[in-house]
Amino acid sequence: MSFREKSAWISLVSIAFVGLVFFLHVPRTLTPRSGPEMLHALLICVAALIVIEVVAHAVVAIRAPRDAQAPKDERERLIELRAVHVAAYVYAALSMGAVSLLHVGANGGAVGYGVLLALVIAELVNYGSRILYYRRGL
Amino acid sequence: MAKTRVTNSIRRLRFEHGEMTQQALAERVGLTRQTVNAIELGKYSPSLEAAFRIAGVFGVSLTEVFAYDEEAT
Repeated sequence: MSFREKSAWISLVSIAFVGLVFFLHVPRTLTPRSGPEMLHALLICVAALIVIEVVAHAVVAIRAPRDAQAPKDERERLIELRAVHVAAYVYAALSMGAVSLLHVGANGGAVGYGVLLALVIAELVNYGSRILYYRRGL
Repeated sequence: MAKTRVTNSIRRLRFEHGEMTQQALAERVGLTRQTVNAIELGKYSPSLEAAFRIAGVFGVSLTEVFAYDEEAT
């Protein structure tokens, strides 16, 4: 498995884990006055995601430094482009769906976290697609 | 598995060139070993530039390395 495929796995698993923890926390605390608490939870989750990603990537890079330092080749760049392309459509559709919740009485906070959830799902699709392209071929 | 219509003789050519490893070929053409493996397995069609570089390593023409399978579905 190449360094970049391992990297995609790390990102997929870490985003899924941190996203799950955060969005399980949201419904219990999302009230009109929960702004500071939610911001605190969001910052902790973002920091946790960064730490997990950096540590996991460092461990993988130390085990295969040559592989980690090699520049992306044409196939890896193409895989990245295709995955981002798919994820962009997912993000656009889901975020539009989240914003449209305003018309059925959702408050601004719910819409905001809906857009954030769309971003998390789009990133999962992005890294999931990369793994699929690495495994199945382009 | 998604297979391309481009077939190739890289495996045979590597064998005929002193059992060159995928890693050695990859380093000479500026690709990763995994990409060379994907090309050999028909999971990825290289760019024209990479295809020429691969043919150049073996000192043969492009058509001796790659072919297009019209019959493949």
